[in-house]
Amino acid sequence: MTNWGMVFDLRRCIGCNACAIACKQENTLPSGVFFTKTLTFTSGEYPNVKKLYVPTICNHCEDPPCERVCPTGATYMRPDGIVMVEAQDCIGCGTCIVACPYDTRTILDEHHLQDGLFGQGHITPFEMQGYVRFTKGTTVKCTFCHERVDAGQDPACVATCPTEARIFGDIDDPNSAPSRLIRERNGRQPLPEKNTSPKVYYVD
Amino acid sequence: MNLQAPVQNSMKPGRWINSTCKMCLHSCNTRVHITDDGIINKIEGNPTSPSNVGRLCPKGNAAIMRHYDPNRFKTPLRRTNPEKGPGVDPKWEPIGWDEAFDLVAKELKKSISEDPRKMLPAINDFQKIFLWAWPACFGNANYFSSVGNFCGGGYHPMNGFVHSTFAAANDPKYCNFWINNGGGDGFSSHLHVTAQAYAVANARIERGMKVVVVEPRMSIGAAKADQWMPIRPATDRQFALSMCAVLVEERLYDVAFLKKDTNAPYLVGPDGYFCRNAEGKIWVWDTKSNQARLWDDPAIGDFALEGTYEVDGVTCRPAFQVFADILKDCSPEAMEKITTVPAANLRRMARDFARAAQIGSTIEIEGRRLPLRPAAYNYYRGAQGHKYSAMANQSFKLVNFLVGNIDAPGGHVGGTLDDQQVDRGHIEPGENGMIKTMPHQLHPEVPFSFPPNETHLMGFFPIGVDPGHLTQEVLGNPEKYGLDYRPDVMLLCHTNPLWNLPGDRERWFEVMRSMRFIVAVDIIPNDTNAWADVILPSHDLLESWNMTMIEPPNTEGPCLRQPATPPLYDTRSEEEIFYELSERMGVLEIWNDIQNFVLGLTAKPELMLERGKKYTDREIAERKGLLWNGKPMDWYIEHGHAVTPRRPDKWYRPWEGMRLHFYIEDIVRVRDELKQKMEDAQVPFRHEWEWLDYQPLPIPVLDPVHLEPAAFDLYAITFKDIQINFGESLTNPWINDIVWKDPVHTAFLINAAVGRDRGLVDGDFVKVESPYGSVFGRVALSQEIHPDTIAVSNALTRIATQHTGVRHGGGNFNDLLPANLRNTDACSGQPETVGRVRMSKLDILPANIQANPLFASKEA
Repeated sequence: MTNWGMVFDLRRCIGCNACAIACKQENTLPSGVFFTKTLTFTSGEYPNVKKLYVPTICNHCEDPPCERVCPTGATYMRPDGIVMVEAQDCIGCGTCIVACPYDTRTILDEHHLQDGLFGQGHITPFEMQGYVRFTKGTTVKCTFCHERVDAGQDPACVATCPTEARIFGDIDDPNSAPSRLIRERNGRQPLPEKNTSPKVYYVD
Repeated sequence: MNLQAPVQNSMKPGRWINSTCKMCLHSCNTRVHITDDGIINKIEGNPTSPSNVGRLCPKGNAAIMRHYDPNRFKTPLRRTNPEKGPGVDPKWEPIGWDEAFDLVAKELKKSISEDPRKMLPAINDFQKIFLWAWPACFGNANYFSSVGNFCGGGYHPMNGFVHSTFAAANDPKYCNFWINNGGGDGFSSHLHVTAQAYAVANARIERGMKVVVVEPRMSIGAAKADQWMPIRPATDRQFALSMCAVLVEERLYDVAFLKKDTNAPYLVGPDGYFCRNAEGKIWVWDTKSNQARLWDDPAIGDFALEGTYEVDGVTCRPAFQVFADILKDCSPEAMEKITTVPAANLRRMARDFARAAQIGSTIEIEGRRLPLRPAAYNYYRGAQGHKYSAMANQSFKLVNFLVGNIDAPGGHVGGTLDDQQVDRGHIEPGENGMIKTMPHQLHPEVPFSFPPNETHLMGFFPIGVDPGHLTQEVLGNPEKYGLDYRPDVMLLCHTNPLWNLPGDRERWFEVMRSMRFIVAVDIIPNDTNAWADVILPSHDLLESWNMTMIEPPNTEGPCLRQPATPPLYDTRSEEEIFYELSERMGVLEIWNDIQNFVLGLTAKPELMLERGKKYTDREIAERKGLLWNGKPMDWYIEHGHAVTPRRPDKWYRPWEGMRLHFYIEDIVRVRDELKQKMEDAQVPFRHEWEWLDYQPLPIPVLDPVHLEPAAFDLYAITFKDIQINFGESLTNPWINDIVWKDPVHTAFLINAAVGRDRGLVDGDFVKVESPYGSVFGRVALSQEIHPDTIAVSNALTRIATQHTGVRHGGGNFNDLLPANLRNTDACSGQPETVGRVRMSKLDILPANIQANPLFASKEA
């Protein structure tokens, strides 16, 4: 069975956040809601300065703490490793948000769906066709664009990345692009000490 | 919720069409998804494009939010509020198109029939660049906007001198050592940013291409670079000259290239002109026979690059020697005092660069043996946007000349704006074995006139790009400049001069107030069209037809824009708008003549627009496609574009057998001709004209910004990044959402140590003041910035009433800049883009300042 994962190439990433907006397009995310975002870290003192752009996303952990703590089973893992939230079962308790060490989940408040991207309650036709997927008061997160993946496509963020800094594929297949990168460039998982076994890796 | 129905937008039932992005001026190929309900819900890169290969930048990804922006102009509008000013509500009332056309045509015609010069046009749609020519129907060459302040006043003419092209970029296909000076090519801005970022990332990762970035602020490029070399603002030319000095001093230059492919061996006399015989042929010095010979004499044994000689009693030097003599004053040690770049670092980098250039190496491409020069110096607005811009641009080019990489694989390669026809070349032979210089890349030369016909004195810039900012100077002092008319109507089209022009906003507001009538063709409200009397709303990028090729760095071929939906509102295409105005103003025939010329349709008479006929945007787009490759619109609709990798014969050394202009004699000639014209016309300001600006080779003289009073102890720069690359971005909620999460866009950046010395902490509220104007904002102490610099994100300096996203900043950065002759490059028209400033902490809290048109009190 496929086991989907992603590698971020930190040498390639230019921190442009095209991924974040492609995700907003694909998933009709309200203002302030991100399924992926890029963090910046600066170290050193002028003029010896290093700046790093670090993309972040739900890590679709092998052992997801969000799933463990979910009281209703709304958070579950698909057989292909994608961690999902079933909105109908989510009671919006927020336990998963506390449990996730990666800050990748959001509870949709009423204002998210009512304010509109342009504010003042103006809801565009784009939002109207997209917000129907959401239930206020439930948790949302990255799904690795599960519908695109089921159709044999890359997630939207991967497809649009101008520098090909996001590499998606089956990390159980040793010949897949992400597996090769992990092996050849010593891929590292985020916060390994949290024992979540992320399926997202970073290479630099 | 129906669990079976897809929730992801691209997976919903619908159809895809191929189109082209217009979120910046370039033309990435897209595919647009429209649901069965007719809603555009996803835009992606077109994977068939060899340019952006299915990818899009953040702006391209945000185009849907432009389309569905509720603030769009929805019908023609007429102003009912006679009061005008920043933040003043125009109190629009909808009117019908016929009424609007009649009204606009009547008002424009009234002024134009009195004097065709009385219209100030600002037509700035780069993807429909033929529209820029509309005022030519009336013989009007005014231009109320800035090119140099946000683009390249000196950049484009210099590319025309050197490559006969509009643009130029390093070649990522073979480059192994990429210098970026004050430009974001390959990382965050300029030519087809997505395409170039992809190509450069591949070169960096797959080939280990080394990147050195030279700039005052650590941009995205600097963050990704192997080496960031911070530099004091407005000293880029001195930096490049010091690099040249090392290359020449240590003989790290391509002798064969300079002798065979350039005019570097041509002998230059003391008057700055080449030494010619009676027939006008240029002398060189033959070191084998130790005598002067004509440049094409087959008996020449070897060309002298160095030395001083005497020919016909005239002392002369090869152009190369002239440059070498200039460079004696440009040692890294001497230039370090100006640039602050440590001489040892500069020398090391210059040597590494020369080594990487592999001078002498060759490569075979498609059966052609070509020099391989995989090291190149790229630069753009930040490096070239200074008073002595022509010289700055040439100094960067000369680094490339010295290593022989001009138009070579891996080197610094010219990029055409629009080839129009697939087999049209851009090189023409000039005199004495040299290529013909093509400094006029945007429009033909505007003839000299005095009294001046143009409010921005375009006739005084025979090899420049429109210095639109000088309109402030001229209209503020009409007697001094001999202006014998006063413009009183303004035509705006996809433009925002009140944002982009340097100089005092209040004086620009005076210019706006002096207009009897203003019409704007646009999509959304902005700082400038808020002053209009009539708005003519145009379709947006998802509702209209177009065919365009805009200076792609690595590819060629036109890109189709086609409507994804019928227009959401009662809007029209720009083509229709200008046709309707042309018809009502009696210039329909000449407008088609002009378009035939500008679009290049004269090359295929069967495609020419017929006189007196009106054409739709689709019909004009189809003609451009046919002109390129003979393919009809159906073919383009299916493919979306005719983009291919740029063919090596057009890209690499298309001038083979001719010589490039290492030394630009044309600049000297143009100076002297202009001098004569100004003398003949007794132009009263001829003695204060900046004659020093015309140099055939760059010299290390300081830009005047360095000579401002010492009390102004910092240099203010403004910057963009990929999220706000090129035009308007921040009214887009998705762009807004990512920009305000990036700390470089939320406060004025100052060096952390400098800030601490001045007792500042993050979040302090400061006033930044130049001799010309001021802005307000919070400061952030940063390690990512040169100690002499204060860096102001373009996101922070807008007129607040139009841009509610602006966070507790105030004013417009361009207020800090002088819009005068002293700070304008007389050669290229480029204004200085660095401000000399002082900074003072303000005790008042931003929250306690009442929001006004120039200040937003909104907290982060």
